Amino acid sequence: MIAVEGLVKAFGRHGEVRAVDGVSFTAPAGEITGLLGPNGAGKTTLLRMLATLMAPDAGRATIDGRDVVADRAEVRRRLGVLSDARGLYPRLSGRENVEYYAALHGLAGRARAARVDALVERLGLAEIADRRAQGYSQGERMKVAIARALVHDPDTILLDEPTNGLDIMSVRSLREQLRGLRAAGKTLLFSSHVMQEVVALCDRIVILGHGRVVAIGTAAELMAQSGASSLEDAFVALLGSGEGLAA
Amino acid sequence: MSRTVIIARKELVETFRDRRTMLMTLLTAALAGPLFLALIFNMIASQGERARTLALPVGGAEHAPALVAFLEREGARILPLPDDAEARIRAGDLDVALVVDPAFAKQAADGKPAKVRLIYDRSRDRARASIDQAESLLRAYSRLWGAQRMMVRGIAPTVAQPLDVVVEDLATPQQSGALVLFLVAYYGLFAAVMGGMPLALDATAGERERQSLEPLLATPASALEIVAGKWLAVAAFAALVVGVTLAGFYLTLSFAPLPPVGVPFLFGARELARFLVILLPMIALMPAILLWLGSRGRTIKEAQTNLSLLLFAVSIIPVVQLFMQRREPDWLVAVPVSGQYLLLNRALRGEALATGDLALSWVVPAALVAVALWAVARRYSNEAVLAGK
Repeated sequence: MIAVEGLVKAFGRHGEVRAVDGVSFTAPAGEITGLLGPNGAGKTTLLRMLATLMAPDAGRATIDGRDVVADRAEVRRRLGVLSDARGLYPRLSGRENVEYYAALHGLAGRARAARVDALVERLGLAEIADRRAQGYSQGERMKVAIARALVHDPDTILLDEPTNGLDIMSVRSLREQLRGLRAAGKTLLFSSHVMQEVVALCDRIVILGHGRVVAIGTAAELMAQSGASSLEDAFVALLGSGEGLAA
Repeated sequence: MSRTVIIARKELVETFRDRRTMLMTLLTAALAGPLFLALIFNMIASQGERARTLALPVGGAEHAPALVAFLEREGARILPLPDDAEARIRAGDLDVALVVDPAFAKQAADGKPAKVRLIYDRSRDRARASIDQAESLLRAYSRLWGAQRMMVRGIAPTVAQPLDVVVEDLATPQQSGALVLFLVAYYGLFAAVMGGMPLALDATAGERERQSLEPLLATPASALEIVAGKWLAVAAFAALVVGVTLAGFYLTLSFAPLPPVGVPFLFGARELARFLVILLPMIALMPAILLWLGSRGRTIKEAQTNLSLLLFAVSIIPVVQLFMQRREPDWLVAVPVSGQYLLLNRALRGEALATGDLALSWVVPAALVAVALWAVARRYSNEAVLAGK
């Protein structure tokens, strides 16, 4: 479970740009929580704080009860992150890219090989796993990046705009993967600026605008809350405008 | 296996898979020695050749038949003086020319100094051997003639020779090929910088440019482990390049059929080993500096710009030392690059290496390695490194 309480992160010389401005929500285990907001709403900054890559200016966040600042090392061991930056090493094969991360997570020998083989199988990478990553398509790169993020079997998975630049087939296969992880009882937090993505996948939706939480709830609850007749209208009504969102 | 070793191994695997960069780096390293040595030996050989058979155009030879006969007896080839001799000397087609003054015979008969003009352009390195030889032949003739005159007057020739100069050249055989020494030291030093460059840039600025740094930082590997692993990889590769460069010199000097040019130059297995020992601080330091500079660039291109100052410093310091006339102060051994160059030169001249000097040459580089790696680690733990794709 992810619990976020009053998280603040400001940038600029005097902290005048409050990218994340007092965000609170919880993302329970066994559910996919969607983080929906236009570009610049603070999604990436929020996820980076949860991934222990940035320190919050105020507030706190815990993952399965462990503080992301105080228990940084332990949080990292239990967290799978598919960040906005998801470059692979072009001269390594897909399998080697995944093995590198497995090794950094302390997996070795037969356990590592078995784990990597299982992921290659599960993500349908068998055909390309031993080719160098420099020739991969967007979708293939994404799958390897997911395998890399999951290689240590984390309990909590953060995904920052995972569908960016993917074709329909890749998006569908990604959704299947995420549903499979949900069924396995993992905590998933998924950010996107695409409404359909979030609606199609997420159990709960946190709407973010200008660094603040605008609304939280299931799709039905959000519609009821805004009094709109369609989800699209609901988002626009809650955010004040549809700018920066994609349908 | 520790994370540092895992990271170092992965960086090296990636580097060795980059065939083109590998080939370019190792090939240029291996060929630098043979190529430059061939050029230098060729130059020395042709100088020796010119000096052995001095071809001397003489104008007005009829005024001084005895002088011409002496020159011929000493092995010089006497040629007629071309009309445009001065122009040809200026152009470098002719090394040196001798013109006997028409008044030579009369001046000689009167017992006055008889005038000859030796024409040359000393700024031409290639002509220097011929010039020196012509001058020394003329001096020898002058001495001989003077001695004969004194004997005719019943004076011992030694009267006009108050000084008895005995030359003792203390240059050991190794000291003779100064230019060769300089180049071997220079290339060895430079290999430590150039060798690690592609890998260092790829592992820092390249990692950022490819967007693979952020996921790496989110793993349990600490910033210090990451930086230490990268440094280990770059240093190992730099050591390989230095080794290949020195091996190139060693193999060329030991086995290539070089012309016998009177440079009994020693660069054997012992010198090779001493070189590696002297260059170790650079093999450690340069990768650390390269990583630090590379980590300051968001793209490889940006990082390359940062590198130009380092390359300038490393390439200019040995040249400055080469032209420095005074003896180097003792503390210079502690200065990175300068100290190594100094010790390399001592090793090449066959001098003993003091253990104290070697230790001293380690102190500053070791401290700088620590500082540079710490700086990169700090940079990697700073969230600013995530900003700006």
